[in-house]
Amino acid sequence: MNRNYFILTVLMLVLATGTLFLKQEPKRKQIKPEDLLYEIIQPTRYVTTDQIARIIIEKDPTLELVDVRDAKSYDQFALPNAINIPTDSLLSPNYQDYFGIPGMKVVFYSNDDILADQAWVLTRRMGINETYVMKGGLNHWIETIIQPKEPPEDAPYTAFEQYQFRKGAQMYFTGAKVDNTSQKKKKVIVKRRKKETAVAGGC
Amino acid sequence: MHVHELNPKKTLVAVIIFVLIIIIGFLTLKKPRFTYKLSPEQTLQLLHDEEALFHPYKLVEVLNKKNNNVVLIDIRDRFTYGQGHIPGAENISAYDLTDMKNIEHLKELQDANMTVVLYGNDQLQANGPWMWFRQVGFDNVKILLGGYGYYATHKNSLALTINDTSYLKGTPKYDYAKVASNVSAAGNSQKTSSKKPVVIRRKKKAAVAAGGC
Amino acid sequence: MGPLIPNGIISGDWNFVIALLLGIAFGFILEASGFSSSRNIVGVFYGYNFVVLRVFFTAVIVAMVGFLYFDYFGWLDLDKIFILPTYLSPMIAGSVIMGFGFVLGGFCPGTSYTAIAIGKIDGLVFSIGLFLGIFIFSEIFPLFKDFYYSGYLGNVTLSDVTGIPAAWFAFAFTIIALAAFWITMLIEKRVRKNIKEYKF
Repeated sequence: MNRNYFILTVLMLVLATGTLFLKQEPKRKQIKPEDLLYEIIQPTRYVTTDQIARIIIEKDPTLELVDVRDAKSYDQFALPNAINIPTDSLLSPNYQDYFGIPGMKVVFYSNDDILADQAWVLTRRMGINETYVMKGGLNHWIETIIQPKEPPEDAPYTAFEQYQFRKGAQMYFTGAKVDNTSQKKKKVIVKRRKKETAVAGGC
Repeated sequence: MHVHELNPKKTLVAVIIFVLIIIIGFLTLKKPRFTYKLSPEQTLQLLHDEEALFHPYKLVEVLNKKNNNVVLIDIRDRFTYGQGHIPGAENISAYDLTDMKNIEHLKELQDANMTVVLYGNDQLQANGPWMWFRQVGFDNVKILLGGYGYYATHKNSLALTINDTSYLKGTPKYDYAKVASNVSAAGNSQKTSSKKPVVIRRKKKAAVAAGGC
Repeated sequence: MGPLIPNGIISGDWNFVIALLLGIAFGFILEASGFSSSRNIVGVFYGYNFVVLRVFFTAVIVAMVGFLYFDYFGWLDLDKIFILPTYLSPMIAGSVIMGFGFVLGGFCPGTSYTAIAIGKIDGLVFSIGLFLGIFIFSEIFPLFKDFYYSGYLGNVTLSDVTGIPAAWFAFAFTIIALAAFWITMLIEKRVRKNIKEYKF
């Protein structure tokens, strides 16, 4: 027989056997640790309660608030249109559709910012883009939006402007207006990532 | 006989090129500097691990040299560090954490079974770096609860903070639902949460392009 | 196309250019392998020429093994590769029909175009029949609709279904392919002894 064919056969066999020894690590979409640390030390992921209040009032459809506290706390109080994904279920496949929707900004919040920040680190590691943390969490939300404090007399002009905004936001969120009674339970409009449709092809 | 069957050398050349490409692949295969030692699930468990936290009252032992197994690392920048820091703390700014010499230093500390305590201005500042070090395998890294800010205000009464819980994070300071509804004069509690059905859907493989024969 | 368009390195407008280049390469290889001759192709069924089997098996094992290595090197993400959705029973029926067409007509759709390219009349007739068949099928598609979409399994691979790692399938298939190369070589020799006239 032809010697060349013999070499070819052996070569291919060796290559195929080699694949058996390749490390079969569980494949997961993760960003590199170096990149993760780089993003961790940037403060760009933090958004203020004022910013969130403004976005909610403006009804920006690209905002996706995620409450990372447990379901019980979520049921008692949550920000408008927030969805509940407890940190412990963050990796559960049921919730993966909520992340990575093109054009949507995910904002995590918790009682304060530690739990939300931890959720951020985890999701960022899993390669999910456009995620943010509400700095100060709900505690700060109450202090700034629900019970804003009047700045002292000698405060700069911007502080008063901010206070004016917070007073307005307070009215908006606490439902001081009478016409809100009818819609006690607002329906949460959940936006999920659309499935990519497969382009079928053939021979 | 077809002409191609007379020339198996071409096939051989093609396969040798293929083998060369694979050899190049092996040669250029870089070992990454850091790999995740904790899976995401293990990282979630870490968040419940009381052992990974460092309470401020334990600083007392460190500061009066009773506990020599602890190295404090200040991850704030050099300027802030210069303005005030916990005595004995080393300064490695968060931006320099992955520098070769700093990582080697941390590895040495890990090999020497020393506990490394990271702190920033508050817990939040050190939270990310702490989680990162834990995830890439530095299991001796802990986080100082309360951060420098808490230390600075309780400097002189650290031992007493054992009963203090104000530095613990994650607890609601208010009864949100009550506070939010009390403000409104009419007392209309507007609860904006509602139950929603969770639809379980499977993630499809991402469609790229179709091919055929 | 691959990692380039989703990562924004080149714009989606390049799709057609890349498709054209790949098409040219594919057609070139088909013709260079002698697939433009129906005698060559149906040789598999009569046992005097197994070039079809060799070309396709070589392509399959090289691609399969290569992808596994490339995935390991991080040059390619196997999770992102398109997987044709499986419709079990219509696929079996379709391949039986395709097999009949293959042995009767002497071409598969792709090779009939390479035959036209080198001016073969049988290739031209085959292609006309091909489009006629597509037209008729589209017209009476409502009749087949239920069957066409039956047995849907999703975009699954053999490893997904069985849980056996892809490397083992690649290894097993390589052995099968290599064995087939040697066995068919022997068959070819025997059959060809009895053929007096053989030309393409």
